[in-house]
Amino acid sequence: MSGEAYREEIVAARDEGWRFAGLHASSDGALVRTLLARSSGATRLQTVVVQQGSVPSIVDLFPAAGWDEREAHDLYGVDFAGHEPLRPLVDHDLRLDRWTVPVRGRDAFQVAVGPIHAGIIESGHFRLHVVGERILHLDARLFYKHRGLERAAEGRSLDEGLAYATRACAACAVANGVAYAHACEDALGLTPDLELARVRTILLELERMWSHLNDLAAVCAGVGLAAGNNHFAALTERARRLNARLTGHRFLFGAIRVGRSDLTLHDDDVSAAAEEVAALRTDARRGWRELRFNRSFQDRLPGIGVLDAAAARRLGAVGPAARAAGLADDLRAISPRLAYDGFAPVTPERAVGDVQARVEQRAVELEQTFAVLGRLLDRRVAPAAATPGTHAQPIGVGRVESPRGATSCIVERRDDRIERLRLRTGSYANWPVVAFAAVDNLLPDFPLINKSFELCYACADR
Amino acid sequence: MLTLLRDLRRLRHTVDLARPERASSLAVRHVDAGSCNGCEHELTLLSSPYYDLQRFGIGVVASPRHADVLLVTGPVTSRMLEPLRIAYDAMPEPRRVAALGDCALGCNVLGTAESIVGPLDAVLPVDLRIPGCPPTPEAIAQALLGLIDAAAR
Repeated sequence: MSGEAYREEIVAARDEGWRFAGLHASSDGALVRTLLARSSGATRLQTVVVQQGSVPSIVDLFPAAGWDEREAHDLYGVDFAGHEPLRPLVDHDLRLDRWTVPVRGRDAFQVAVGPIHAGIIESGHFRLHVVGERILHLDARLFYKHRGLERAAEGRSLDEGLAYATRACAACAVANGVAYAHACEDALGLTPDLELARVRTILLELERMWSHLNDLAAVCAGVGLAAGNNHFAALTERARRLNARLTGHRFLFGAIRVGRSDLTLHDDDVSAAAEEVAALRTDARRGWRELRFNRSFQDRLPGIGVLDAAAARRLGAVGPAARAAGLADDLRAISPRLAYDGFAPVTPERAVGDVQARVEQRAVELEQTFAVLGRLLDRRVAPAAATPGTHAQPIGVGRVESPRGATSCIVERRDDRIERLRLRTGSYANWPVVAFAAVDNLLPDFPLINKSFELCYACADR
Repeated sequence: MLTLLRDLRRLRHTVDLARPERASSLAVRHVDAGSCNGCEHELTLLSSPYYDLQRFGIGVVASPRHADVLLVTGPVTSRMLEPLRIAYDAMPEPRRVAALGDCALGCNVLGTAESIVGPLDAVLPVDLRIPGCPPTPEAIAQALLGLIDAAAR
């Protein structure tokens, strides 16, 4: 498709309700593919040929494409006509004015934070432009942890490729692994049987359980509430021990396979797991009640880091952060390859979209996770497989709701070999949103705002 | 102020302080040199009630200037090489470097050659190796406590 027709298609698709879900250049930089998705779960890929090194930008139509286009430029040499200025993202340009937005005026100055942070935090750089303590603008420079995982996966077999998707991020290893497995199975024309759908859903929710418990602990730490932090950190530890008991690994590494599952859990294992999940539910509720009535904790949360529904929609926000802003989007409700039967997304009655709303959203979604696990941990887990059912195709798409939001994986293959792997995680989608939500807030509130999104650097950087 | 700090740093680098008979604490500075975040998540839980490593005098400090040990995770990406070196250079003597997790040890690292310069011992002198993907909190705790014991001997 030519550049002009591509833009027309994207405009028409947008007007029909399709939304941006990712953009990447092919391995040789000759094509650019845009992934669009509907709220029904349908996806489509719009492919455009790169002509004289360039394709038209769609960032004016979908601001969420901003990072994708900058990445495709840095790593695959594609120019995006109309994306001005096309700032480096993955490339670390030494010239400040090349990668930061110019902020000038009386008393405006910059606060540079990172890449090494003061606590146990992943590496990344934030350049905050401030007047006094007020944040005017935030330029986030990530990709310090870029390992070239997508590039390194090229030429590997589909089975080998799983490691590149899962090792991108320990905190989202299951979500990324299932998205990858779904993409491969989509390309191979395979459909998971009921048991495979069930075991993967269990693993996804076990991951979400420890992740949300950890996020609540982290917010307490951000406020300086040691008691709350300790309570939820202890629950996080118990959740990880449960993971190890069930799968042999605290982060569930190795539990996902392409086209099958090898996990066996006997009746005793499953009922013990269901008991521990119920116990964690009781203890999480008790901890949450303490937090709700702790004034020094609650006073810090409202009114900061506000993300309203319109901005969330415009910027392509995903996950708990988007739902806390009132967008009822959750891939779990539209995942026929998984076992979320009857799952309905929750959004707050008053979708304020501030730090408080995001923290409460996690607490509510934790309840959903306990409920899903309680429902699925009712009988033994047996090895399972995906069976032929649909047409095989050279490109497969997999989309999964990670603890941080919609994660899309695209696998382009030639026979059993990966030609291009693209992993666009919930964190990748939400990092630009964090920068937006930080504006107009006080500098000392930034760590808390950042923690309320609790994004991974690793699965954005890859 | 800066002069004082610079002088102090020079002093700490040159003065050969007698080792205390029994080391009772360990100040740790963590640097993520490109990890998958697994080591960080386990490290964070060392301060949880199940491990509570602070009771042994082990704490994470905000600056490498206050640290006895540089605890490095990840395969050392090309983009983290310089920040890692700066952090190491800022540490006073005696200083130790610990490689946390298989990536830092150069095991089963995934990525492209131009993105990764590791393993850690190709970049810094490594004193302590903590294998695992990621190492469990127990394994990290044992290794760090071993470092205190070794300093006491």
